Amino acid sequence: MQKSTIQFLLINYFLAIVLVSCGSVTKNYTPKKLDKTAYDVPYFSDSKTDYVYKTNISVYGNELSGIFIAKKISDTTHRIVFTTEFGNKLMDFEISENDFKVNSIVSELDRKILINTLKEDFRLLLKKQYLIQEQFENESNDIYKSADGKRDNYIFISKKDQKLEKIVHASKTKEKFTLFFHSENNIFAEKIQIIHQNIKLKIELNYFKSE
Amino acid sequence: MKTKIALLILFISSGLFAQEQKMTDAEIASFKQDVNVVAKKIKTLSTDFVQYKHLDFLSKDIETSGKMVFKEPALLQWQYKKPYNYSIVFKNGKILINDEGKKSAVDIGNSKIFARINKLIVGSVSGNMFDDKEFTISYFKLKGQNLAKFIPKDATLKKYIKQIELTFDKEEATVVQVKLLESSEDYTRIVLKNKVINAKIDDSVFTN
Repeated sequence: MQKSTIQFLLINYFLAIVLVSCGSVTKNYTPKKLDKTAYDVPYFSDSKTDYVYKTNISVYGNELSGIFIAKKISDTTHRIVFTTEFGNKLMDFEISENDFKVNSIVSELDRKILINTLKEDFRLLLKKQYLIQEQFENESNDIYKSADGKRDNYIFISKKDQKLEKIVHASKTKEKFTLFFHSENNIFAEKIQIIHQNIKLKIELNYFKSE
Repeated sequence: MKTKIALLILFISSGLFAQEQKMTDAEIASFKQDVNVVAKKIKTLSTDFVQYKHLDFLSKDIETSGKMVFKEPALLQWQYKKPYNYSIVFKNGKILINDEGKKSAVDIGNSKIFARINKLIVGSVSGNMFDDKEFTISYFKLKGQNLAKFIPKDATLKKYIKQIELTFDKEEATVVQVKLLESSEDYTRIVLKNKVINAKIDDSVFTN
């Protein structure tokens, strides 16, 4: 009898934690009336631009650096290439909302878990439109919630200058990874950070102009 | 009009083919000797470089530039200065990297490709690469230049680099351009200029 009571209490306690953390993603935000049903991302949307970034990847204490190149090659698809500073190609992907193709990858990086993680990261980075179901705000941002399968994306737009500053990819209970953007003109992002909350992975992109 | 254009293309392309002429055996022997004679004299070498990364789907090559310093027998530094600071030193079986102030080191034992590239670059200035069993080599004459094409024999290296092309200045018999062709038709082209041979270079240059 006593045993089952403890069990019951434990389950309740556990449920309480789940319920509390459930609200954690949006708990500091104030709900607001929807002012739009879709958000179009300006970055990476121009098919004439070569998006070239110096890249630093930090994964479980290991540092990897090189050049990240993205180019919109059709209405739906981006080509992504990662090379060393010398120009050796390390990865070459084609990515769209529904398709993903590995053109080439060096054997040292050919790990399913890594490829799947990057696929998720890059898909979000290059996604051109988010459909919005809910809206929130905090002091400095309008926050739009967009369903993404079992998860959600939260899009943070600065109130001051209407720039896309952050996208949080989260499950119902916690944040999985976050994209941070810094843009001067709201057309092009000069600096991007992809930070994972559940694994030790951080990708930093710094735009550089070829001379 | 169309025929004119076709003829023009034909003329230009045949002109290009004519420019790249296969060397005779005698010419190969004399070219190799020229390079070897000069290479033996090289104790140090420093040069500016411009690197063009060509990817077929991009509208423009990605251009980076900097300085390369070599000192006998096998000290090598590649330093990118524009548009970012990134420096890599090959020294005593190690690769030292300085990435915008962030420093790291890699054992060449773990990075065979780098070791091979280092060997090739150093080889091309020290003259001991034509005997290399690792490549199938072919030799061509250009206007004022010589060209050697290296196709890797090793399957692993071949996966990364389909072909390496070294262009030599005919008079000086030193490398003026390195072109690394990847398995797809993409390549990296490195143009060397403002070369200085045998200036005094301190070992401390090769600390990163």
